[in-house]
Amino acid sequence: MPLRVLLVEDSAGDARLTQEAFCDANPTIRWHVATDGVEAMAFLNRTGDHSSAPRPDFILLDLNLPKMDGREVLARIKDNENLKSIPIVILTTSDAEADIVSSYRLHANCFMSKPVQLEDFETLVNSINDFWLTRVKLPQQVQ
Amino acid sequence: MNSVRAADPIPAATCDTNPQLEGRYRGLLEAAPDAMVVADQGGEIVLLNLQAERQFGYRRDELLGQPVTNIIPEGFAERLIADDLRSTEDALAQQIGTGIELIGLRKDGSRFPIELMLSPLETAEGTLVTAAIRNISLRKAAEKHLDEMEGKYCGLLEAAPDAMVVVNQDGDIVLLNLQAEKRFGYRRDELLGQKVTNIIPQGFAERLVADELRSAKDAEEQQIGTGIELIALRKDGTEFPIEIMLSPLESAEGILVTAAIRDICVRKKAEAHLLRKVEELNRSNEELAQFAYIASHDLQEPLRMVASYTQLLSKRYKGKLDADADEFIAFAVDGASRMQRLIQGLLAYSRVGTKGEQPRCISSDKALQQALVNLGGAVRDSGAVVTHDPLPNVMADEMQLVQLFQNLVGNAIKFQTSGAPKVHVSATNNGTNWTISVTDNGIGIDPQYFERIFGVFQRLHKRDEFAGTGIGLAICKKIVERHGGTIWVESEPGCGSTFRFALASIENSECMILE
Repeated sequence: MPLRVLLVEDSAGDARLTQEAFCDANPTIRWHVATDGVEAMAFLNRTGDHSSAPRPDFILLDLNLPKMDGREVLARIKDNENLKSIPIVILTTSDAEADIVSSYRLHANCFMSKPVQLEDFETLVNSINDFWLTRVKLPQQVQ
Repeated sequence: MNSVRAADPIPAATCDTNPQLEGRYRGLLEAAPDAMVVADQGGEIVLLNLQAERQFGYRRDELLGQPVTNIIPEGFAERLIADDLRSTEDALAQQIGTGIELIGLRKDGSRFPIELMLSPLETAEGTLVTAAIRNISLRKAAEKHLDEMEGKYCGLLEAAPDAMVVVNQDGDIVLLNLQAEKRFGYRRDELLGQKVTNIIPQGFAERLVADELRSAKDAEEQQIGTGIELIALRKDGTEFPIEIMLSPLESAEGILVTAAIRDICVRKKAEAHLLRKVEELNRSNEELAQFAYIASHDLQEPLRMVASYTQLLSKRYKGKLDADADEFIAFAVDGASRMQRLIQGLLAYSRVGTKGEQPRCISSDKALQQALVNLGGAVRDSGAVVTHDPLPNVMADEMQLVQLFQNLVGNAIKFQTSGAPKVHVSATNNGTNWTISVTDNGIGIDPQYFERIFGVFQRLHKRDEFAGTGIGLAICKKIVERHGGTIWVESEPGCGSTFRFALASIENSECMILE
């Protein structure tokens, strides 16, 4: 069963870059991309166009998003009995202390700053894959 | 006087004595506090008292029957006599009761100022004149002194460049100068005796008065000499800002307060203007700093896309297209990553001003150690030997001091062409400043570039000789200047360089590092 990853990222370039970087490390991942917070919640709650959306095993969440920003998406997921067991990694360009603190307060599973250099980004992606998507035991899907 | 009128007519006076008169009036005369001399219409003295003898230095018998001009040479005898213009009664009536100031002449020839009070004395011999004579030497002297003082004081008052208003403890204006008239738009007589609140509605009169908390003296002392800014009111109702300086003035009427009043309209405007300019400058500086930060921060995002995808292109397609494509992509990758470094440098530079911490007492020794840890790879790879003397505690933003050392030691290691870099960090104190020096054995710098190297993006070498964006020393300069210090370089090409920065030294007692 391939892992399903929900990537919440408004920049198409960043979304593609993330997928490309993961592609080398783990080509079996099934990607689902939401480009804003509202779409992410619709996907997770299977509302609107996403009525048949699968439940993701893992979420990569950007903080700065249009419509509903990543902090609120994070808060809603972690406040939802059904969704809160899904690990969420914050992957953002921000390295502001305030963002780090507030993310952990909202129960983000971890916070990572996007490196500027591609090489560094690839290294980071490899470590995410190695830890979260390989070594870590994720909960079995519950419907 | 009624008793006198009711008395029987008095017989004609003899030339030397007047026993009847004497008998009748002696008691009365002697009881008077002043010298009393009674003269007849002819100007001869017919009676006098002991005070008169003393005052003029004569024995009684030396004066009786003598002309009154002997003791009052001018102004008395003339008044007794009717002339063509007036009758005796009129002449007298005009003098009665008035205080006439004349000069008295003593037997010894000395003169003294007197004041005469005349009253008529009807007798059988006709109307006599009683003169009460008061020696007014003291009063005259006092008056003269006062006049002099007032003359001097008024001169001073008028000469003062400020409007001057003298006020008594009740808040009444007792004196003012021309400048005060001009400033407030009143004529002098419109202000004298008026309440000072007419021209300074608030804040002045209140200060003159004692309240439950302080005595009049304290009230006044508290105000003396201080520049109090108040609002003044002109006659036409317009207001203007003033500064008043108060000082006490001892006078016969008690303690007066002199207020020097300065129109500070121009100063206030200038102050407001200056304040506005400073605010504008601060705002524009802040905006500029914000702009630099936001611009470089926001530029980073699209640049990251360009850099990442050109790198991805290079990685995936190198050798799969043609040689030109490889070269083009390589230039794009190089340009993008250089621009990233420039923007990161600019960001770091702008962060010195916007993200700095309040300086506190820190160990520069520790800051250097941290810088060396951060430089780790560069130090190891170059085989550099970095030594240092004991370094002082200084007031600084720790992160920035670390960065300062990191940039200076980093440069010292980088600009080296022969052998292992040797870097020494030392400190000297001249009493007011600590000067910390970073000395290397590197390539050195031509003195003509000593200023330029501290500018933003200034480089002296080709990129393939020495890497870098040219922001490092600009950041150093900004850090040192943010700490109120200075930074400079001493060098000779081929003989190494010494970068020095001076920071204000602090007393040991002021600087306790909490571990």
